[in-house]
Amino acid sequence: MIDAVAALGPAAPGTLAQVDAGTVVSVLVDGLSKAAIYVMIAAGLTLIFGLMGVLNFAHGSLTMLGAYAGGLVLVVAISSGSGALTRLAVFFAAVVAVFAALTAVGAALEVTLVRPLYDRPPLYQILLTFGLTLIFDEFARMVVEFYGLQPRSAWQEAVGTKPEFLAESNAYDVAGAPVVGLDLFEIVLGVVTVAAIWGFLTRTRYGLYIRAGSEDAEMAEALGINIRRAFTVVFGVGVGVAGAAGVLLAWDTAWGASVPLGAETLLPAFVVVIIGGLGTFRGTVLAALLVGMVDGLMTYVFNSGIVEFPGLPELTVFLTLVVMLIVRPQGLAGVEEVGGH
Amino acid sequence: MPPDEVTPADGDAAATAETPADGGGDDGGLSFDDDPWYRRYLRESSVHLVVILLFAAYPGVYAVLTHPSTPGNVEMVYLLPQVETMIVVLYFGLFAMSFDFISGYTGYLSFGHAAFFGVGAYFVVLTANGKVPLLASGTPFMISLLVAGVLAAVLALLIGSVSFRLSGVYFAMITLGVAQVLYVLFSNWGYVGENPRDGVAVGGSHLEGFDIGIPWIDQLNLTIGAFQGDTVQGLLGFLNFSTVEVSYYMLGVIVVLSYFTMQRIVHSPFGRVMIAIRENEERARAIGYDVFRYKMGAFAISGFFGAVAGALFAGYSRSVSPDGSFYFLVSGDALLAAIIGGFGTLGGALFGHLFHEFLREFLSKEGSGGGLLPYLRDVLSDSLLSTELYNGFTVGEFVETFLNGHAALYIGIVFVLFVLYVPNGIVGTARAYVGGTLAKQVPARFRRGGGDG
Repeated sequence: MIDAVAALGPAAPGTLAQVDAGTVVSVLVDGLSKAAIYVMIAAGLTLIFGLMGVLNFAHGSLTMLGAYAGGLVLVVAISSGSGALTRLAVFFAAVVAVFAALTAVGAALEVTLVRPLYDRPPLYQILLTFGLTLIFDEFARMVVEFYGLQPRSAWQEAVGTKPEFLAESNAYDVAGAPVVGLDLFEIVLGVVTVAAIWGFLTRTRYGLYIRAGSEDAEMAEALGINIRRAFTVVFGVGVGVAGAAGVLLAWDTAWGASVPLGAETLLPAFVVVIIGGLGTFRGTVLAALLVGMVDGLMTYVFNSGIVEFPGLPELTVFLTLVVMLIVRPQGLAGVEEVGGH
Repeated sequence: MPPDEVTPADGDAAATAETPADGGGDDGGLSFDDDPWYRRYLRESSVHLVVILLFAAYPGVYAVLTHPSTPGNVEMVYLLPQVETMIVVLYFGLFAMSFDFISGYTGYLSFGHAAFFGVGAYFVVLTANGKVPLLASGTPFMISLLVAGVLAAVLALLIGSVSFRLSGVYFAMITLGVAQVLYVLFSNWGYVGENPRDGVAVGGSHLEGFDIGIPWIDQLNLTIGAFQGDTVQGLLGFLNFSTVEVSYYMLGVIVVLSYFTMQRIVHSPFGRVMIAIRENEERARAIGYDVFRYKMGAFAISGFFGAVAGALFAGYSRSVSPDGSFYFLVSGDALLAAIIGGFGTLGGALFGHLFHEFLREFLSKEGSGGGLLPYLRDVLSDSLLSTELYNGFTVGEFVETFLNGHAALYIGIVFVLFVLYVPNGIVGTARAYVGGTLAKQVPARFRRGGGDG
């Protein structure tokens, strides 16, 4: 996360007097692009928790699998001669393919493994998905090592498939601040994701089922909604969104497809979901904005030398979580009862 | 170590427990009530004693079975965990037990339990490096171990004071958040060492090893450590112990003491309230227990022993890294051990971790500790290994790809199977089978069997 901003430009030696329009723009763009990534990796988690009350510990690992799968499509389909439009087209094809594949994986997981655990204490769903994390991570490591890639570091070939106009080396001048194309691309995708999920929840029949089921699953069932199938669909879609976010991360130098990506995305996703209030999509969007801006701001504070502690952005993100839980445990948009989950 | 020596060490925490626990809990042995308390305690601890003796005999058994003159020694080298691995089982088993103490008994999932392990480990290393104020570099290991434990208990009280207002998922998340804050702090804080992200080792200012024993009395101490510990020659005329074996026994003493302390607390009225909180917190409160205080107390005790485990780890390995101590996957390993062994069974966590370490060593790539891979390389013929399975992919490559150091995959599969089909874990299932704790029911069965015959 830190490296991304290092590319943003020469770090100004920090005094408050030097904060100008350019600094504001670069912090804003950085914060918003982080918020966009956070909302994408957390959206699936919050959908699943909202309806089913299952905290999916395997969420990060599924993002990681999505990153590798998407990276594979990108690397295979894009050659060094491909033009910018081809690359973008392949990227969106990869997003659709990975979304479809992981939605199927998620639905299969729900039917075979999660479903038998609904009548057990919620602890067991955490345990099960935690076990799945181990399996997915080690499986990915196995396959990646087999093909001679280094599992711990980002897959550079996949990072290198993005078109020239999005590359980190190619910054645009906005109000005197260098802005990387990929950051803007991430913001656009983040907005599209939020709009799509918002539309899904409020404009489709399944969205209605999900909102009804989140309010009161038993009542929804009594009214004739097949809540079981809704569970399967939501688990599938949630996992699919996680995978699609992974494809985007495969392009981002600061993340990249790697096995530790699972843990690296899981923790911020948890932070965002909890700060927003477990299971409320609106809260998750707000929390992603908050956490993204805090992260962006603290990255600036570190890069400009005001504070010489390299872990500052990460530390503040987790401190935000702790403070939030102490001050307002139900989260930004949560209601009081949710605290009793 | 005979258990009757352990009782005084239980100290004040369990003192209030004695009368009611003894009166209510012993259903099998009416006719033995006239016996003095220590004989009753010994009898109730006979299963513990057997387990301790088995662990104590392990280095000897390992040495005999893997000796070149023993038939089948090659297979034994492949199969049996090394004594080095058993040391990991001891200290990490203790950590898993401390995790089970809070999570398995009160039902509050302490997902940031690694914080206590890290505090213990870092405290010992930083003390030895002279970086802890008020504690000189030469502070005896036992003192820094205890201080680390107390520090972790205070940290647990701090975390608990804000997080026990919340329940379930939120408690797990706030503990995880605090542990991650510490993880980031210790990975980036230049004060702890040159390169904090890679961890710190005990530096040149502290060349001597860490002693376990009674502080300041040289005769009652033995130095632990993989390479520079004490050896024992000619104990009772014929017993010789290498440095690793000395570490194994000395760590074992601390682990046994800690286990009995926690076990005593769990079986005291205090422990009953912990279980009541797990089963139905509202009701426990309605009966009149101040559940918040009980939760705080349990969390502090759990944190104390978590830090003791971390201190033992650092004392043995003489170095610590943030990834090996504060990271959330360390808590995850404790969770694995507790679930596989049996959630809420205390001792089960140790066996759960024994299983974990056994599988890890069995599937490791190095030949030194034995394991499946070198065995297959030895046993399978070259022609079989180079047989083509599919499209130029040979049996040998198959074995390399799927078994070489990928124990985590199989641990994960076993773990998921346990969650789905054996939710009570090894010890929990055994308890359900005999109808009570093993410590009470197994001797009772023997007595009944003896009476009939």
